[in-house]
Amino acid sequence: MAKEMTLSGCAATAQAVKLAKVDVICSYPIRPYTAAMMELAKMVAEGELDAEFIHGEGEHAQLSVVYGASAAGARTFTGSSGVGVTYAMEVYSPISGARLPVQMMIADRALDPPGDFGSEHTDAMSCRDQGWLMGWAESPQEAFDNHLINYRIGEDRRVMLPQFVCQDGYFVSHIPGKVLVPDQGQVDEFLPPYDPGSHVLDPKKPMSHGPQIRPDQGTIMDLQRAQAFLDLPAVVKEAIDDFNRIFKRSYAPFVEEFMTDGAEIVFFIMGGHAATARHAVRHLREQGVKAGMVKLRFVRPFPTREVGEVLSRFKAVGVVETSTSYGGSMRGGNLLPEVRAALYALPRRPLTTSFMAGLGGDVVSLKDFYWMAGILAGAVQAGKVGKTVYWTGLERA
Amino acid sequence: MFDIPQERAVPFGCVTPAPVGEQPMMITGNWREYRPVIDHEKCNLCMNCVIFCPDACWQLDDAEEQVVWNAKYCKGCLVCVNECSHDALGKAYELDFPDGVVRLEKPF
Repeated sequence: MAKEMTLSGCAATAQAVKLAKVDVICSYPIRPYTAAMMELAKMVAEGELDAEFIHGEGEHAQLSVVYGASAAGARTFTGSSGVGVTYAMEVYSPISGARLPVQMMIADRALDPPGDFGSEHTDAMSCRDQGWLMGWAESPQEAFDNHLINYRIGEDRRVMLPQFVCQDGYFVSHIPGKVLVPDQGQVDEFLPPYDPGSHVLDPKKPMSHGPQIRPDQGTIMDLQRAQAFLDLPAVVKEAIDDFNRIFKRSYAPFVEEFMTDGAEIVFFIMGGHAATARHAVRHLREQGVKAGMVKLRFVRPFPTREVGEVLSRFKAVGVVETSTSYGGSMRGGNLLPEVRAALYALPRRPLTTSFMAGLGGDVVSLKDFYWMAGILAGAVQAGKVGKTVYWTGLERA
Repeated sequence: MFDIPQERAVPFGCVTPAPVGEQPMMITGNWREYRPVIDHEKCNLCMNCVIFCPDACWQLDDAEEQVVWNAKYCKGCLVCVNECSHDALGKAYELDFPDGVVRLEKPF
């Protein structure tokens, strides 16, 4: 029987990893993700989880350890935050190029300088083009569920790709919430044991992983990974259908809509601040503002078709940017360029703009969302957006 | 959907059966500044160099009962010297050898 527990995002992650019967875990401490490793270390020490628990000498070593372990056929787990995520950068592409379904938790943290412990999506978003799946959780429950869903998708023989499973540092990783923890039988039904197929290190059948290829093979190798991402949406939908059936949930595979019936303006958002956005939308509706929220569950693969179809129904879309792209085409964050690209070919397009918010762990308050709604309503009235990016709370009136 | 010429095909995940032979388009021996030299009298065939070499430049010659070095691909990292269990391996400067590869014969 499933049981309800009160868990932080990190503790929920540890429960999911345990139920996924992970074989090899590699840790290195950095706040805030490290709380998940503390839980897992306890589970291994107390014999609740039969896994190799290895301390890396740093994040580069962490990723190298799980790379090797995954090549040897193990189900693996690692994680990091902030500058730890970027320190391991070199190893991400080799893992996805080798088509090894390593899983890494990222509890976001602002990058230096200077040191800031707060949540911001820039650490993970800097790695979004390394051939890994990537998506955010809004709550400890969604974090728990996403770990299981990602193992299932990543290890599918049609996919065989690593996954970044992200949650906002502190807002999700350290604030406890109710989590429905399923029993082992349900998890086993959803997530079969990892089968690496013939793609595994075996001393009796020597294989060479990561050998040199010729320059004229480079494009072809990249095409293989690109093709895997083209094939991904069907596998994601299958996995989410099975997940919803077995665990009695109601996840949309890619894009969740909240109070969008009759909405004219919507917030487009991912991760923990969506929890605040829901309250803001409810309050705005009570005041007669036709607001709604659309939440993105996967940044990679980016659900171009779904985002286009959903967002084209509204008059104005405000993208809440929780990562930075200095000098980028929209002069703000990373999501608005993707959103505009998804809408470009459609006959009917909403007005779109973006709001820089929640950087460096800053809270995005209800008041901030009301202010954003005001900008969006003004854009609808004027029939155009003033600019592509607003810095929430810092714009001169 | 895509037309991939067979001679350029890449195996899934770039995994190949090993060893399949040498890659003549990627000679790395000319990167070397120092080379490992072996004293076969001291070597007890512990195989550390064979296992640790990242480029499979040490191989066991069964007939001769000794390990042999591949000069074409050894980059001179000297991991083998570090891992040798019987001090049978030392390092020597490339300039000390008539066939030393300190200077590139052609740009790579």
